[in-house]
Amino acid sequence: MTARTRSFNEVLLSVENISLSFGGVKALSDISFDIAKGEIRAIIGPNGAGKSSMLNCINGFYHPQEGAITYKGVRRSQMRPHEAAEQGIARTFQNIALFRGMSTLDNIMTGRNLRMKTGLFWQALHVGPAAREEIEHRQAVEKIIDFLEIQHIRKVPVGQLPYGLQKRVELGRALAAQPELLLLDEPMAGMNIEEKQDMCRFVLDVNDEFGTTICLIEHDMGVVMDISDRVVVLDYGKKIGDGVPDEIKNNQAVIDAYLGVSH
Amino acid sequence: MFYREAGQFKVSYAADQAVFPIAQDRIAMLALLLIAFLVVPFVASEYVYRAVLIPVVILSLAAIGLNVLMGYCGQVSLGSGAFMAVGAYAAYNFAIRLPFLNPFVCILLGGFVAAGVGIAFGVPSLRIKGFYLACATLAAQFFADWAFLRIKWFTNYTPSGSINAPPLEILGVDLSSPTANYIVCLVFTVVLAIATKNIVRGHIGRQWMAIRDMDIAAEIIGVQPMYAKLTAFAVSSFLIGVAGGLWAFVYLGSWEPAAFSIDRSFQLMFMIIIGGLGSILGSVLGAAFIVLLPIFLNQALPPFGALFGWRISTATVSHFEAMIFGALIIFFLIVEPHGLARLWSVAKEKLRLWPFPH
Amino acid sequence: MGFFLEVLIGGLLAGVLYSLVALGFVLIFKASGVFNFAQGAMVLTAALALVRTLDIAQKEWHWPFWLALVAGFLFAAFVMAIIAWASERLVLRKLVNQEGIILFMATIGMTFFIEGLAQTVFGADVYPLNIGLPKEPIFILESVFDGGILVNELDIWAAVIAGLLVAGLALFFQRTRIGRALRAVADDHAAAQSVGIPLNQIWFIVWLVAGLVALAAGAVWGSKLGVQFSLTLLALKALPVLILGGFTSVPGAIIGGLIIGAGEKLAEVFLGPMMGGGIEIWFAYVLALLFLLVRPQGLFGERIIERV
Repeated sequence: MTARTRSFNEVLLSVENISLSFGGVKALSDISFDIAKGEIRAIIGPNGAGKSSMLNCINGFYHPQEGAITYKGVRRSQMRPHEAAEQGIARTFQNIALFRGMSTLDNIMTGRNLRMKTGLFWQALHVGPAAREEIEHRQAVEKIIDFLEIQHIRKVPVGQLPYGLQKRVELGRALAAQPELLLLDEPMAGMNIEEKQDMCRFVLDVNDEFGTTICLIEHDMGVVMDISDRVVVLDYGKKIGDGVPDEIKNNQAVIDAYLGVSH
Repeated sequence: MFYREAGQFKVSYAADQAVFPIAQDRIAMLALLLIAFLVVPFVASEYVYRAVLIPVVILSLAAIGLNVLMGYCGQVSLGSGAFMAVGAYAAYNFAIRLPFLNPFVCILLGGFVAAGVGIAFGVPSLRIKGFYLACATLAAQFFADWAFLRIKWFTNYTPSGSINAPPLEILGVDLSSPTANYIVCLVFTVVLAIATKNIVRGHIGRQWMAIRDMDIAAEIIGVQPMYAKLTAFAVSSFLIGVAGGLWAFVYLGSWEPAAFSIDRSFQLMFMIIIGGLGSILGSVLGAAFIVLLPIFLNQALPPFGALFGWRISTATVSHFEAMIFGALIIFFLIVEPHGLARLWSVAKEKLRLWPFPH
Repeated sequence: MGFFLEVLIGGLLAGVLYSLVALGFVLIFKASGVFNFAQGAMVLTAALALVRTLDIAQKEWHWPFWLALVAGFLFAAFVMAIIAWASERLVLRKLVNQEGIILFMATIGMTFFIEGLAQTVFGADVYPLNIGLPKEPIFILESVFDGGILVNELDIWAAVIAGLLVAGLALFFQRTRIGRALRAVADDHAAAQSVGIPLNQIWFIVWLVAGLVALAAGAVWGSKLGVQFSLTLLALKALPVLILGGFTSVPGAIIGGLIIGAGEKLAEVFLGPMMGGGIEIWFAYVLALLFLLVRPQGLFGERIIERV
């Protein structure tokens, strides 16, 4: 597969001059880039470059000291993580963050919690609206389970699953929210070739079938160059490159960062 | 042999999501309920009611309440005795200030008051976790101990601080016999247990468990920690408050603040650790175990000691009891954190395959 | 003014005693991340072992006081060593890598076990304890205030003992090889283990030191109130102290103890009458709770940064 060349015009999210520091440590300084609606956008960079911090800013877990984020035309400087979720931003984590005591099915059902509205009273009776709602969402979740090919582990507590499947369940949980913007933090880390191929297929299918915009962090350059539309490169909390995969491959600053030219 | 699910196909999601998806479980549960409601009243003696059945039934309800908070939502509470007290005293105050209300309505209202107080003491859980929260709930415990002893309005200015429950009746039918006491408590516990089971298997229950398993991830996928934690505190305190009302009105009849001391909080916590964190069935098993063990020890230890020429006093028996509880807690935490409920499901799993090992 | 000072000093001195109990918590929390609820039970057990040996040695064996005292302390220390060994071997080692809250509940189990065992073995009455500390109330600052300020000499001794203990512990932590190993374990026990620090041994030592601190607390509290079951309630009083001071800070335990001790006595005397009295029971908790809302990590605790 070669790099895809698609064009996008509508900007879904743009990051303007974001700076974030912890005490004296600067994690991000003056970062700006945008994510177009419908594209697959990759963030790459050496370890400690600030990639995860960037995602954490986008979904409201960290609050940058400077700069603003414009999402769907609304400019904001701060929001709570669950507000981000309500506005259609879902994500997965570098170190899997599943609910270990719950089954695969329950984990993915939790992804739909924002769409489930019945209150305590109906829940306690479990008839009428509560029961109907439960079945409705179960159907939606079963579609995701089929899509990710994890029918056989539906009722298994996720703590007992192997790593690769846990990653898949986590993707399922994020998809269950039917997000507009999906943030994937190293979705293929620690996987073998076969698992990586599966995961790439899922990411591309999500993008194609549901039209979900995807922003992902990944270390495997082969994968990044193959599946992403545009790439942004961070190093030591600064942006050193931004463009389509071919440009990035030939960008001297990026090559230096990866090969380790002394600063 | 007879515990087989072969041939039972689920054709709808509703069937798959049932509380007891396997027919044999449904039948067994139904049989158990029938026995509890229809057979027990004809065989139990007054002693069995007072010493075993009524305490087990009421404390099961309280344990279910604590399990909602600790087992499902992962918020440690050492203040359940306080919420029982709030339920009991609130029910009492409804009963004396609004005498036209039925005592059981008062108990339910007491549960709602307990839920409110639970929410108030749950607010710190939004900022603090783990044993910090445990300390905060301890504050609730000590505050309640003090308030019901010193603020005379709560006890309607009775000089001794000891208060009496109103007579128990529904529509003129007297319910003061042990059998009636038992049935009433059983109705409360069964109905509320089913309601709780429904909540924990629905989306609110999943939110609680998400908070328990990984609160940060839960928030990022859109669970509102405030809503999830406070509903858990409210539901938990409601159940514990109703249990407190039943304990005071039905079991004790007249009581003092000491009836809901910190010892009660520890007792409830032991019930759910031994019975199984995050399990409704486990709460009931744990309550039964904790009520029965001291009775057993009191019967068994003195004769056992006599065999060796020791005289074992009741004080010694209570020390033994503490040691055994302590050891059991450690044992269950190390070996089987999901308690008796998990042992039960392992046994069922074995039974499904029997006589084959796999 | 004189009365206010008298209450304040009484409170501060009582606070020192809370600090003594809180110190034991801090030591174990620092080194093993365990919130040891059993600290109160350890105080009771140590005091019981001490007072019973003292009684028997004096009354039945007719040993001189000083010899009985030495024997009592040695025996109590031995009992603490057994508890330290057993909790490391039978509980901590089996629960390594579990969540803090599981360990916390396990120590509640230990509390019940130790209390039951200690009372079965040593008896469950109230035993007056005399270890030679003076108990006379004395008046100080008589030249400044009319009638002076009444303080209990025992409390002053308790403060001296607490001060010496803290100084000793600080030296132990900062200056000895074991102390350095302890700090390493506290920071990251997997990493400490990988550089060859024997984890189990370190845990044993920490629990032993906490046991000895419990012994000191038990001896002082026992002299003051008599050795009895209610000593375990002291452990509960130490919790608000910890919340104020932070769970990992030795100076925090001391200052937290002083604040709680003084605050509680002042509140009881000046606010109590307005609220029906007896507010000492919960005042410390509510104070700590309010404090938690403002500063969750305590006065001297480390700031918590959450990561995903």
